[in-house]
Amino acid sequence: MRANPEVLILEDDAETLDELQGHFTRKRFHPLGARSAARALSLLEHNRYSSRPVLAIIDWDLGKAPDRSASSGDVLSRLARELRECPVIVYSQNIDAFNVRSQIQRSHPRALLHDKRDGDASLLERIDRMLDRTVGDLRIHDGTVVVHLPTLDQHHHREAIRLVVHHPDIVTFHSDTATKAVRRFGEWLHSHSSAVRLVSHGNRKYRLAVTATEGAAPDPEA
Amino acid sequence: MSVRAVSGRATDGYGVSVSAWLAHRTPVTTRTLAEAGRGHGLLRSLARLGGEGYLVGVSDAPWMLGVRAPDRSRAILVVTVDGELAVAVRDAVPRRMAVIRDARPDDAGEIAGACLPWPWMVVGSDVSLTPVLARILRERPVLTFWLGAAPDGLPGHARLFDRPAALLDAIRDACEANVGGMRLAPGSGVELGDGTLLRGATLESLVAAYPDGFALPARNFRAVSEALARHNAGWTAQRDSSTRMMLVPSAPVTRR
Repeated sequence: MRANPEVLILEDDAETLDELQGHFTRKRFHPLGARSAARALSLLEHNRYSSRPVLAIIDWDLGKAPDRSASSGDVLSRLARELRECPVIVYSQNIDAFNVRSQIQRSHPRALLHDKRDGDASLLERIDRMLDRTVGDLRIHDGTVVVHLPTLDQHHHREAIRLVVHHPDIVTFHSDTATKAVRRFGEWLHSHSSAVRLVSHGNRKYRLAVTATEGAAPDPEA
Repeated sequence: MSVRAVSGRATDGYGVSVSAWLAHRTPVTTRTLAEAGRGHGLLRSLARLGGEGYLVGVSDAPWMLGVRAPDRSRAILVVTVDGELAVAVRDAVPRRMAVIRDARPDDAGEIAGACLPWPWMVVGSDVSLTPVLARILRERPVLTFWLGAAPDGLPGHARLFDRPAALLDAIRDACEANVGGMRLAPGSGVELGDGTLLRGATLESLVAAYPDGFALPARNFRAVSEALARHNAGWTAQRDSSTRMMLVPSAPVTRR
């Protein structure tokens, strides 16, 4: 069974939320949309064992939220504690203000920041850059598969997608099942003589590294 | 039938209560109660919006801040009163190299404890050291960079800076350290010249501190020397003339 990877979207403006959800649906992701932080927390809680979003898009300012019993900081804190492997983009009108940035960093030390004043198009562009990744001889296709470009063979597991989306960062996986899937992906890369290899950092932490070969993009950290 | 569960005296800071059905035997802890108050966790169905125990408009519960979550990634702990320096450090450090943990003086000890096994670097300015943080800095090889006047309790190997720009340059240099081909791997560990990944917080600290070292007992560094010898890295940890333990080239191994 192919399950489309989920993307959590917290946006208090209904129109913008619709636009973001539509964008992800077109890209074959399954959007988990919420207009309030309480709803986003509820989505995370209820999908705790069945779903782990591969990306979260969080609006920091929730002035139009229908329910203000929780804040975007609460959602970020929960993501940082329980879904560390999920990359998070936080956007705000006030992203330049150091106190806003400091609050975001304290809620989620790994959150990526985006300036809302650059417009929705700029956010979508950035998201696409993250999700339409080409890493070495691998490419994410339709948000659901990792394609080995020389052979066009596909690997379907969402943890493989997570690793490619995160490259070159380390991903901490949450369970033995996820770790086994990652190791199978590592074997798949090896069996395809891919220019990309799986690197284990212990304690369920893995990352992808690209071997600099002809035709493959070198590792940025190399 | 229902029972009212109260977790403790209000003076203890545990003054949260919920109504719970007797039939459900749920371990009642401060955290579960606090979660229930927010409409989440095991007791969430018992503390609904507008109901008793539901906290409205309360956010940023300090116990659940992400910065306090335990993590084994390389961490730079920045302790300031307002977080401005932490924002600058985050802009200076390549994202893949280290996680920036923005701490205040009152939670620095706890956040330092969440950096496993210990923070790779502690950066501070205009704050005093809490006893917990002072002990970590005294007992572990933690790179310690301080802006402005040094507070009591900083270890002898701490580096002091007058200007933020110099401090940020030093942090960048530490991230990019290269000692005989050994360099920090993204996230954690040290990559040797041949691509081998060696895990170990002490080695990460030694590589980043080079050519300086740490005024700590030699026993803290034995495992590093053994690991480097096992991989024929050509380096070992040794005490220098200033009594600091640092990386030095080892004598070449001759095989019979």
